[in-house]
Amino acid sequence: MTEITEQNKVSEKFVPKPSLPPPPNTTGAIGWLRYNLFDGFLSSCLTVLSLIAIGFMCVNFYEWAFAKAVLEAANRQECRITPTEFGTCWAGVKFWFTRFIYGRYTDTEIWRVNSAAIILILWMIPVWLPRVTAKLNIALSGVLIFPFLAGYMFLGGDRNWFMEIMVSVALGCFITVIIHSLLCLFTGAGISKWIIQLTGFSNRSERLHKFPVIMFAVIIFLLSLFLISDVAFKEMPNNLWGGLFLTLVISGIGIASALPAGILLALGRRSKMTVIRVLCVAFIELFRSVPLITILFMATTMFPLFLPEGFHINKLASAIVAVCLFAAAYMAEVVRGGLQAIPKGQYEAAEAVGLTYWQSMGFIVMPQALKYMIPNIVSNFMGLFKDTTLVSIIGLYDLLGMINAVSQDPSWIGLHHEPLFTAAVIFFIGCFAMSKYSQYLERNLGAGHGR
Amino acid sequence: MSGNTPSSSRGANAVINDERYRSIFYQVVVFGLFIWAVLSLIENTQINMATRKMAVGFDFLKNTAGFAVAWTPLDYKPSDSYLMVYWVGIINTLILAGISIVLATFLGFIVGILRLSKNWLVAQIASWYVEVLRNTPLLLQIIFWYLGAFANLPRPKQSIEILGFESLVLNNRGLYIPKPQPEDLFWLTALALLVAVLIAIVLNKRATRKQQQTGKYISTLVPTLLLVFGLPLVVFVLTGMPLDWEIPALKGFNYRGGGFVLPAMLAVMVALVVYHSAYAAEMVRAGILSVSKGQTEAASSLGLKQSFVMRLVIIPQAMRAIVPPMISLWMNVVKNSSLAIAIGFPDLVSVFMQTSLNQSGHAVEIVALVMAFYMTVSLTISACLNVYNKKIQLTER
Repeated sequence: MTEITEQNKVSEKFVPKPSLPPPPNTTGAIGWLRYNLFDGFLSSCLTVLSLIAIGFMCVNFYEWAFAKAVLEAANRQECRITPTEFGTCWAGVKFWFTRFIYGRYTDTEIWRVNSAAIILILWMIPVWLPRVTAKLNIALSGVLIFPFLAGYMFLGGDRNWFMEIMVSVALGCFITVIIHSLLCLFTGAGISKWIIQLTGFSNRSERLHKFPVIMFAVIIFLLSLFLISDVAFKEMPNNLWGGLFLTLVISGIGIASALPAGILLALGRRSKMTVIRVLCVAFIELFRSVPLITILFMATTMFPLFLPEGFHINKLASAIVAVCLFAAAYMAEVVRGGLQAIPKGQYEAAEAVGLTYWQSMGFIVMPQALKYMIPNIVSNFMGLFKDTTLVSIIGLYDLLGMINAVSQDPSWIGLHHEPLFTAAVIFFIGCFAMSKYSQYLERNLGAGHGR
Repeated sequence: MSGNTPSSSRGANAVINDERYRSIFYQVVVFGLFIWAVLSLIENTQINMATRKMAVGFDFLKNTAGFAVAWTPLDYKPSDSYLMVYWVGIINTLILAGISIVLATFLGFIVGILRLSKNWLVAQIASWYVEVLRNTPLLLQIIFWYLGAFANLPRPKQSIEILGFESLVLNNRGLYIPKPQPEDLFWLTALALLVAVLIAIVLNKRATRKQQQTGKYISTLVPTLLLVFGLPLVVFVLTGMPLDWEIPALKGFNYRGGGFVLPAMLAVMVALVVYHSAYAAEMVRAGILSVSKGQTEAASSLGLKQSFVMRLVIIPQAMRAIVPPMISLWMNVVKNSSLAIAIGFPDLVSVFMQTSLNQSGHAVEIVALVMAFYMTVSLTISACLNVYNKKIQLTER
């Protein structure tokens, strides 16, 4: 009996009618508009005001950038659209654009800057390819050894024995990185494995494996020494450097030197040794609490006094040193933030297995801390990229310096707004890309640590 | 085996491997290197300064500066000393930074709240405002504001009258405003304001205590406003309105009288305010988002009104996340105000580190003095920050 009643119950189960579609004004485009733009009186007012403001800006911008545009002109006077009014002189920007990027670098030598940039890109691309191994070595060699190659390519002139060796080493490293990455991509094994197999050392004891690798390195080094022996670039003194190129050189050197210096300073700040800690704290606090411009003025006025007699330091070098000191102090705080994010157990565990201080830092703490730090390092680089514009105040022709130079050029005198707008666009693209990348890293690097 | 090693070498090993001795050794080495570096720098500097016949010491501060400063609220004449120039620079920097800090924080709060608006368009505009301003260099923005807005102002004869006031004019010499000239009994009004503020504070404290004891909410908004504005007004009228306005007037080719602000100062101020407001907006947004949604829901379920939810529950908690980065932002405003040099506003770096340094050649002393000022400001601000952090930590637990 009970079974039957239950079956009855099941058959009489409540079956809801199909639900009505939502009211048409809550879905689709209309619903979206209602919910996001006209949700109440205040919201509607704000929307209308915003639309008016946007429209006003668009109309004005169109008028300035397009309606009044003058695309062909040989000097500023030809940019007049009426006898009293100047048009928007894009011709001037077109005329000066190469200068904005390369400064006063000779036109025929610009390819050197471009090829150094391409080499750097090729050197660094493997770091982002998932199949490539030994990424840390590639990145480190790019940061530490590439500057010698780039320095020679930018500067040119005679090489002394030191530069001869360093340029060959850098070229050798570059060739190795490229071969290694290609091998990784196509065969899945790194260069050392491939050399060992090729020379038939793979069936010998592992102790001997390093010999063919060393041989290979020597061969590559000699090869690149031979390759560069005939190459001689025209000398381009660094007062010709300028534009975006100079901005990137200064901020690139700044960030590359700031990372190791910042790591050392941050470790020093957390050290148990009083003298070291006090010195590090003093350095960090001193350079963080004063504006960059005062450090730059200090560099240009005081560095020449600091040097022993007979030594000279040019303006660019002192500016670079100043930027490095400044960046190192800021990077130290970024690194400290990363170190503080590592739980104390990690330090204690590293100590407990008997690692020395440098081993525990190098193998346990730093690899984890770096992961936390990367987004901040990227945004720090972005900040430095922006702050580098200050070198124009001490008279270097970086991107902003070139733009000020345009408005003082006799035939383009008074041309401010268009170059400034161009520079703003260049900076915006660079910094926006970097900030989005750092946000992306922040989201993705947290994998495994996220809550 | 190890038992056979002579005890003297074991003792040496023990010393080498002992962390304490090692650390002392390292510290001595580092300290020695540091002292050596400092001494050699001093020696080099002395040699270099001797060969360039540069004088050393702070005596030059008493010398006559001999140059004019374009804008200062102080009574400065070119015949004053370099010490006075230092002081002028400090005051100008502090005024510029102070006004910019207040306005940037205020604007930052507005933009930060707009970024969280439910209105999609408004939120988008606010977020692009932040993106554009944060991703272009401040120096470029300062030059942009100066050349784009404040360098093309009309001549004094064609001055722009702001809001139709004849006494509030903007031209290529600057912004002219009426200057208040207090008369004899004006101090009474000031005193009345002070008394009113004190009474208002006491009133508010008592109201809060009463609410904590009895749960009864007493609105103090109206009495506070009445007190703070009413009492000084009454005293002001009773003492016979002892305040005169010095009104700028066009005389010859320029405006005379009243207060005035350089176009360069306006440009730097606008740039500083706008640039830092973008950073402040991000902090405000992050601070509000850091308060979990459960707090809003809990407050609403207690039956609090919407405005109380914001004022009593969300904002006090958000403040905890907003204030520390906001204070470092203020420090950045002080530091970044030094960029005024690019368009010629006479701040500390401009009048002291550039003009005075070029004239007197006392590089080391001047750099030290300027850095000392900025370090003092930043150490003061971080000391305040530490006090605040300690205070909110106490209320937390």
